[in-house]
Amino acid sequence: MKRVIGFLLLLLILTSCSNADGETNGTDQSLQDTSWEDIKTKASETTVRLHMWGGDEGINRYIDEWVAPRMKEQYNIHLERTPMDTGNILQKLYSEKQANKQDGTIDVIWVNGENFKNAKENNLLYGPFRNQLPNFKDYYEQDSLAFDYDFGTPTEGYEAPWGKVQFVFLYDQDKIEQPPETFQELKTWIHNNPGEFTYPNPDDFSGNAFLRHLLYKGAEDTKTLVEEPFSKERASSAGDYMWSYLNEIKPDLWREGKHYPSSLAELDRLYSKGDVSMTMGYNEARAEHMIENNEFPDSTRSFVLDEGSIGNTHFLAIPYNSPNKAGAMTLINFLLSPEAQLQKLKPTNWGDNTPISIDKLSEEDQQAFESLNRGKSVLSNEILEESFLPEADAQYVEWIKENWKDEVIRGE
Amino acid sequence: MKLSEANKAWVLLVPALLFLALPLYGFLSAVRTSLQDQGAFTTKYYTTLFTEQSFYESLGYSIRITLIATALSLLLGVLITRSFTPFIQRTAGKLSIWLPMLFPHFVWGYIVLLLFEQSGLISNLLNEIGFIPSTDAFPIVTNDQNGIGMILTYVGKETPFVVLMLLPIYTKHDKGYRDLVETLGGGKWAAFKDAEWPWVFPALVETGIILFAFILSAYEVPFLLGATFPEMISVLTYDWFYSGDWNDRPLAFAAMVMTSVIIGIVSFIAFSVMNRKRMLLTKGQD
Repeated sequence: MKRVIGFLLLLLILTSCSNADGETNGTDQSLQDTSWEDIKTKASETTVRLHMWGGDEGINRYIDEWVAPRMKEQYNIHLERTPMDTGNILQKLYSEKQANKQDGTIDVIWVNGENFKNAKENNLLYGPFRNQLPNFKDYYEQDSLAFDYDFGTPTEGYEAPWGKVQFVFLYDQDKIEQPPETFQELKTWIHNNPGEFTYPNPDDFSGNAFLRHLLYKGAEDTKTLVEEPFSKERASSAGDYMWSYLNEIKPDLWREGKHYPSSLAELDRLYSKGDVSMTMGYNEARAEHMIENNEFPDSTRSFVLDEGSIGNTHFLAIPYNSPNKAGAMTLINFLLSPEAQLQKLKPTNWGDNTPISIDKLSEEDQQAFESLNRGKSVLSNEILEESFLPEADAQYVEWIKENWKDEVIRGE
Repeated sequence: MKLSEANKAWVLLVPALLFLALPLYGFLSAVRTSLQDQGAFTTKYYTTLFTEQSFYESLGYSIRITLIATALSLLLGVLITRSFTPFIQRTAGKLSIWLPMLFPHFVWGYIVLLLFEQSGLISNLLNEIGFIPSTDAFPIVTNDQNGIGMILTYVGKETPFVVLMLLPIYTKHDKGYRDLVETLGGGKWAAFKDAEWPWVFPALVETGIILFAFILSAYEVPFLLGATFPEMISVLTYDWFYSGDWNDRPLAFAAMVMTSVIIGIVSFIAFSVMNRKRMLLTKGQD
């Protein structure tokens, strides 16, 4: 027995060694004062490791089959993509930071919202680097709110805008002739078609976004809600409308609102089986390849409500301990280029919208962007831009998660 | 140098202890994380946890579902093993029992979902043959608040495991005892009580502990088949751990540590009960 106790004590001592938080932000190879030419030279003949969420075949194909060969050709860079959930990537970086590991294995990550906030607050990122990218300087709005704030967190040059997406509702036009235009009409439609609508549990990213639209509507002044940092008072006064709306539609939802799909994939499954007539999603073009894969009926179309649709920019960033920061910057710069952005916009690839300023492009490129057909299930750019609402502070996401169960589920 | 008996046992246990060091290290890290705030010792996460209504609700619900699923699996396992021992020893029988063992829990859960959901296979079949007027008339047994979907999955998946654990006992079990009881004028019940139960019971307790520990903390089946509310404890802690705010993480660790403590207490009680039975058993044979 004594030995066991000794052994346990030893383990305890081993585990309780304090982790000195090294405050070195990978400065050993900072490129802040290096010219772009030198960065390009440095990046030649290296490998760049891109870790990103890999749950979408269209996105993966775009990176592997279109971006990677061009990186090889134009910059002599070998691009290696590793699929990994962003939460896990940050967890890994966080552990490395704790262990003071200065020599990591990731060069570029795809990030936004809460993940960016966590990464920045825990000093997991290298930067600022954004304003050194020639393509950013040439083709993007230099001081746009959409790039300077990421869900209310100041970006401060630690991430570069890669794309933008907007929330839309998807519906089957064979079942619904005229989709609702306002939240009021949506409520009426739900009431007249019991069991045909539901939304994912707000722990899910898309379900939470659906709820945030209601939060905006309930706010006295949406502009303040978006621009000011999170406040509990503002959240609960804006939340009143949201909770009462959700409780009113509850009895007419799928499964009488007693159970909600735990993920968007689950809601998509219900939609493709015809159990419900609407689904949704935080990407205005997502129905295109769902139709192509025969997962959604051909008659799927999208709509937004008059109250607006929330959109956000998603970004690329470099981990603090990336061993190849020059290569990382070269890759990010290429991904921001007009040709890479145009390719990304094509529905056969990814269909992801571009944050680029069309009016800064050459005549020829402008033509190319404007003549591109994104597919019949995607709304026109005018409609999307007209209804665009920016994201508020990331803490509202959390607040909704925490309160939804109490306000909507428990009051039974 | 001669090793004393007691020391010899420890030496022989070294490989097992080394193997256990890894999960133990993980567990101790969890304990440490749950007691630290910015590197300083704190019990605030446990204080928060013990005042958290959702934790109690979730824990109570989880224990209930776990006990039901464990008890049903054990009961079914005993009944199947008792009735079919000769059959199970043949190839066909072996296969039919081993088949469910091949699938991971997640796949098994998905099968249950596809079969039993309201718009699932069974419901559609019943609707086709006119047994129910529409698929909506089919009872809701997946993602339901009573956890029926989860229980179905676990029972289907763990019963073969129980059979696997009991089979050696029934194949080796001496028929002589049963004959003895019957010769002495005992009935069927007495035969079961005196000649069978004492051997089966310890194995059942052992298997029960394994199932209890597993089901209480498993994640994938509740994620797939659980209701939005109430949540199994694993889903709740997963949400805490992966919530946007990393400050909640120690709370998730605290909840998991408490779950481990509960499993530890239950195992300890079960083991002591079992050992006492075993003692009596071996004494009786001396």
